[in-house]
Amino acid sequence: MRFLISLAWKNLSRYRKRTIITASAIAVGIGIYIFFDAWLLGAELDSERNLIWYETSSIRIMDSQYWEEQERLPLDRVVENPEVVIKMVEEMNIPAVPRIRFGGEVIFYKDPYEQDGGVPVQFIAIDPERDDRVFPMKQTLESGKYLKSGKMEIMIGSWFAEDIGAEVGYPLTIVTRTRDGFFQTIDVEIAGIINCPNPMINNGTIFIPMDVANNYLQMEGGVTEMDMSLPLQADVEKTAQHIEERLEEKGINNLVAKTWKDLAQDYLAIAVQKRAGSNIMLLLVFIIAAVGVSNTMLMAIYERVRELGMMRALGMKDSQIRIAFILEAGGIGFIGSVAGTIFGSLIVYLFSTLGIDYSWIFKNMNVGYRLTGVMYTVWNPEVVITAFIVGIVISMLIAYIPTRRALKMQITDCLRNE
Amino acid sequence: MSYFKALAYKIKQILGGIKMKKLFISIFIFFSPAAVLMGITPEEILERMLENQVHDTARIEGKMIIQDRFGKKTVTFVSWSRGEDNALIEFTSKYEAGQKILRNEDELYLYFPDAEEVIRLQGAALRQSVLGSDFSYEDMTGEKDLLDSYKVTLLGSEEVDGHDCYKLQLEAVSRNVPYPREILWVDKELFIYRKVHKFSLSGRLLKEMRITRFTRQNGKVIPVELLMEDKMKKNSSTEFIIQKIEIGIPIPEEKFSLRELTW
Repeated sequence: MRFLISLAWKNLSRYRKRTIITASAIAVGIGIYIFFDAWLLGAELDSERNLIWYETSSIRIMDSQYWEEQERLPLDRVVENPEVVIKMVEEMNIPAVPRIRFGGEVIFYKDPYEQDGGVPVQFIAIDPERDDRVFPMKQTLESGKYLKSGKMEIMIGSWFAEDIGAEVGYPLTIVTRTRDGFFQTIDVEIAGIINCPNPMINNGTIFIPMDVANNYLQMEGGVTEMDMSLPLQADVEKTAQHIEERLEEKGINNLVAKTWKDLAQDYLAIAVQKRAGSNIMLLLVFIIAAVGVSNTMLMAIYERVRELGMMRALGMKDSQIRIAFILEAGGIGFIGSVAGTIFGSLIVYLFSTLGIDYSWIFKNMNVGYRLTGVMYTVWNPEVVITAFIVGIVISMLIAYIPTRRALKMQITDCLRNE
Repeated sequence: MSYFKALAYKIKQILGGIKMKKLFISIFIFFSPAAVLMGITPEEILERMLENQVHDTARIEGKMIIQDRFGKKTVTFVSWSRGEDNALIEFTSKYEAGQKILRNEDELYLYFPDAEEVIRLQGAALRQSVLGSDFSYEDMTGEKDLLDSYKVTLLGSEEVDGHDCYKLQLEAVSRNVPYPREILWVDKELFIYRKVHKFSLSGRLLKEMRITRFTRQNGKVIPVELLMEDKMKKNSSTEFIIQKIEIGIPIPEEKFSLRELTW
């Protein structure tokens, strides 16, 4: 065995050019695979974080009937005494804030806008004094100022502002319905423009002070939801269940606590499909790399059929020759995998700090991810180790097939092979 | 108080012998708009107007011309109705062909032939626009309860396009109506509304509806062309045109059944 290992090593160093070219093909394949995986994982994790931080929160408490009809944003299915529930949740050391979510249309007119128009949007009434306990929206303020209670002002996303040609200080009219269903119009001014990393918020959600909404929508203190913030790694299902139990203990049976996974079922369904798509993409990258490796390995072995014949003529057993060639291929795979892992890790490191700006894609196309611009790669050690091992194993497997074929030939044919 | 006493004394002196109580009643009646308008109550005006709009049975062929900032779209339909409670509308235009709306009392059902599915509309879903027009599904259910849902006040008399009209104000007493306040100009002679203004809770004019043409049939004055304009948006209107109307024709009860909807 020692002899075979030594022979394989000698062959590797003897055919240096071939070794370098073949190992480079493996390195590029493995490097690209590691980078793609890190890029897709980064997008997924960033997207999930942006979904929780800016859209769903970790857990949301709402009326059970509101939950059933939430797509229609019904204002008549509300939580009447939000402060009682918020106090209860805060006693569990979980920050919670009330919100009113409602649908409507914003109407704007020529001068100061470029043209007249109306756009259906979703509105969220927030308590400006405490909303940032759960949603870090304040940090995303790009221009103007954050909302203030009692002011007839709104805050809009930068993409939406750009679409309608709005700037800070511009007036808008909101057409919506009150809790009982009366048509209502609210004249407001744009106080601030936010640049939120979540495109759903940046593209069509308008924030308004809670007391203004409460007054104009005749909510009588009722809210549609209470949102809670937990660390990203927290067991949200368990906490939601615990909250529901506490609510029941207090005799509040009409409320439900839903996790971000319940709230973003469409997103998760898309994410599963995306993951399947990503796996196909990774498989393609893998196949391309494998074909490259196998091609060079095949060429490397076929051009050495005469050498193989000579080894057999000198009395070396077929099994020994096979092992020697497989070990040689494994050596090439090892060199390629080491280089590929270093190459892939370097690119991952580079883009985990610099990021890749995809805002031009996300702005004009809803790709499902909750990302607005820069995507960062995320280091995935599991995939790096797997790619490293697979690089070696594949090289060895691919070497087996042509070696086997060459060994089936007559020794004289091998020696005559050109 | 002394001022009124002095005034009463003066009037008594002038008119000589007319009893004070009778005088005050006369003054009140003189300044009351209802009296000016020949003693008819606002509720009666509204009832007479609704009589022209509700038929025992009716079959209508018509179209809606919907205009928004993207352009104009024409939707044709055939409808059958029985009294205030039952109506079936079937759309016949190319892109909407086979879509149906069934109203049975306060229940509204939609049928989409492509999906072969019947959807019951309720709650917030009733607020959706009918095929992108300025009419919502709740506009189709609301009118029959007008007198139950609104307090009617006669504001006076005004001319609309040269027609003398009663000016009625409707203020919502029920919370299940979309518009908290409406002003109707009802033709004094024909008892059809010439113009309707619909306001938001803040008092902003949202929609204006005008009758531009009517016809007479079976002793009734039936509006056949009306225009609904969204006053919040420029270039947003819906023209509702009745091309053919037959009233008092026999319509089987099954026409308004859920089974008929899926046929």
